[in-house]
Amino acid sequence: MEQVSIAPLVVFRIIFGGMMLGSIIRFWLNGWIEDLYIKPVFFFTYYGFEWVKPLGETGTYLIFIVMALSALMVMIGFKYRLSSIAFFLTFTYVELIDKTNYLNHYYFISIVAFLMIFLPAGRNFSLDVYFDQQKKLTHIPRVFIFTIQLQLGIVYFFAGVAKLNYDWLFEAQPLRIWLQPHTDLPVLGYFMDKIWIAYFFSWFGAIYDLSIPFFLSFKKTRGYAYFFVIAFHVLTRVLFQIGMFPYIMILATLIFFSESFHVKLLGYISKPFIRSKELIHSEGRAFHFGSLFKKMFLTFIAIHFFIQIILPFRYVLYPGKLFWTEQGFRFSWRVMLMEKAGKAFFYVTDKKTGRVGETMMDNDLTPNQEKMMSTQPDFILQYAHHLEKKYKAMGMVDPKITVDCYVTLNGSGSRPYINKYVDLTKIKDGFHHKWWILPFEESAN
Amino acid sequence: MRFSKNVLGVFVLFALFVVAVSSCKKDKDEEVTPESTFDKPGMLTNYADSIILPQYQQFKQKIDSLKLLADAFVAAPNLSNLPVLQSHFLSTYEQYQWISTFEFGPAETDVLRANFNTFPCDTTQINTNIVAGSYDLSTVSNIDAKGFPALDFLLFGIQQDDNYILSLYTTSPTAVNAKNYLSDLVDELQLKSNNVYNAWLQSGGNYISTFKNSTGSDVGSSIGMLVNQLNFDFELLKNARIGIPLGKRTLGVPLPEKVEAYYSQHSIELIMEHIQNIENVYLGRSISNNDGLGLDDYLSHINAQYAGGSLNDAIKAKFTSAKAKLLLIPGTLSQAVVTDATIVDQAYAELLQLVVLLKVDMPSALGVLITYQDNDGD
Repeated sequence: MEQVSIAPLVVFRIIFGGMMLGSIIRFWLNGWIEDLYIKPVFFFTYYGFEWVKPLGETGTYLIFIVMALSALMVMIGFKYRLSSIAFFLTFTYVELIDKTNYLNHYYFISIVAFLMIFLPAGRNFSLDVYFDQQKKLTHIPRVFIFTIQLQLGIVYFFAGVAKLNYDWLFEAQPLRIWLQPHTDLPVLGYFMDKIWIAYFFSWFGAIYDLSIPFFLSFKKTRGYAYFFVIAFHVLTRVLFQIGMFPYIMILATLIFFSESFHVKLLGYISKPFIRSKELIHSEGRAFHFGSLFKKMFLTFIAIHFFIQIILPFRYVLYPGKLFWTEQGFRFSWRVMLMEKAGKAFFYVTDKKTGRVGETMMDNDLTPNQEKMMSTQPDFILQYAHHLEKKYKAMGMVDPKITVDCYVTLNGSGSRPYINKYVDLTKIKDGFHHKWWILPFEESAN
Repeated sequence: MRFSKNVLGVFVLFALFVVAVSSCKKDKDEEVTPESTFDKPGMLTNYADSIILPQYQQFKQKIDSLKLLADAFVAAPNLSNLPVLQSHFLSTYEQYQWISTFEFGPAETDVLRANFNTFPCDTTQINTNIVAGSYDLSTVSNIDAKGFPALDFLLFGIQQDDNYILSLYTTSPTAVNAKNYLSDLVDELQLKSNNVYNAWLQSGGNYISTFKNSTGSDVGSSIGMLVNQLNFDFELLKNARIGIPLGKRTLGVPLPEKVEAYYSQHSIELIMEHIQNIENVYLGRSISNNDGLGLDDYLSHINAQYAGGSLNDAIKAKFTSAKAKLLLIPGTLSQAVVTDATIVDQAYAELLQLVVLLKVDMPSALGVLITYQDNDGD
């Protein structure tokens, strides 16, 4: 197998650990640990992961401390294998607590953190090597670096595939809605409410996402492609509230650059401390696969990417408009694709007395949870089951829970979302088709 | 530079796409393409200069007279100054309905809504305070023992006649304490409303220019806060003022004593003032009834759609029908929720539909986030 310098992987490790540490500190300082994981009294768990529970105030802060420390340890390459496992587990655990907070870029981080466990990214330019020179690797099989590149490429490419839909390409939605409020920006503001700019951004975004992995892969086009990476992500940062993600992508895509670039970069970083120039490639050995390990690794990677490529297409198994029903929507790199808003009114009927009442949603859900729930059927079902339990605990023998919900999608105007006669306590959660969602087209108000 | 040909090719290609797409779009909906940028600064100026500040000013004047009348009453409670105080109190309470929407900036700092109008009031707590003669109105436990609801109780009692009410301030053993309590409640109203008014004034805290200069639509921008608070306030109208008394939260068992202004039986009047204020804010209609730039114009400008028509038209029609249904409620609200629940329920259903239009359709079309906490999206 082709051997290449370990430098790109090492740089990626430092960037990844550093960005994660920064993100966690930012998350903490914004008070989001409190807001998202301590204050809420109810959490929307993922199907199959109902056992993931918030760990209380102390426990939650503790898990964030472990997460931050392991990100730091990944960055400096200290006890790398242990810290990369710890980071993956803590980060993913927190993400699994409440799917209200699902973001594609958190999913991306979980996946990269998972892959990083299996890569020898701590075997150079690290404290592990500083303490034990025996561990130093100078060269590794090309497949290790390709793994990260392919994962990044998939994120972009599928984000592009997802944009190939009628609303995005031929209605310039949702960008038409999203750009228009930005007329107060300096210079750019002038264009923001022009229809053609919404079309331009839509098509530019689609072509960018579909092509950038390839342009980054070829030496000849890489420089120009990277210019577009920076321009694209800086623009998204200016226009949308998407936190650290643009910076993470701008730095992560450096992995496509040549090994000499990374060697130079590492030389530059270490300049203040160490004189030696070619430090990275001196006095180490190359990584060689044992034949069994090689087979295992390649099989594992193949399975991983097979799942990655299949998962975004699972939506074809469900009838109805994907953006409306959101069946098979998550975990598919569908990033910033739709403007969707809704409002749900839940009703409880005491079947013994026939009495009907509206439920007291504002007591159990944060505004953000309520907002996320109102446009996603699996949330609505889960919340209905929560209400069922609550009313049973209050002594109602056989409560019936129904929902009157209105949703607007890409400026369609709000329309009924869920069949308001269906008793949701009788519906089981799961991956089967949710027939009680009203079809988008027929549900015109 | 060899590669740049390829890149150039790609960009020429999709530039062509853009031209093609936008030109065929033009044929289709030329009439809806906004030619000029919506005047957001103009809209904010209208809100600040012609609505918010004048409403605060009017409220401050009402409160100042309330203070004078309360002082006169406390100095010499009698059957001639009590009705004057009562009627001025009600008109001040009505005027409050015109400012309760603006709970951002100075009003948010002074937590005006909770301090002024947490209802129903806790009469036990009020009586305890009066008997004790010492209390701290700023504590959480006193939040429902002060403001308009507490004054409503103190000035109107429990449907007793004026002689009985007067006796609370004259012959009752706690008369002195009751008078002090009344004064203290009015003083707090005056202090906080003056605070907020001065904080808005250009010559004071100058929040007015902060408000006008924040022309974005993101969380914390003036438009963002206005749309959020308009919705928050309107949901209070639907839930607290009507839904809860109607028994929406209690499986249809009405709770008549939970209405706003229970003791003066002035609920419907206040509700009509309140919804009129919300509508005026939506329309950008000034205190002198001039229709200036408002959210309605903004929605029209971006051609927001609803059910095959204009969203703005739908919202305006819903305001009209909701008000009409509210006016059908006979007698006082606390009676109606018991004896004419169906009629109240029909009004409630209209309000619910209006909540959907204002909270789902309007913010989604304007690109304003409904959230009371900030967070990342993706």
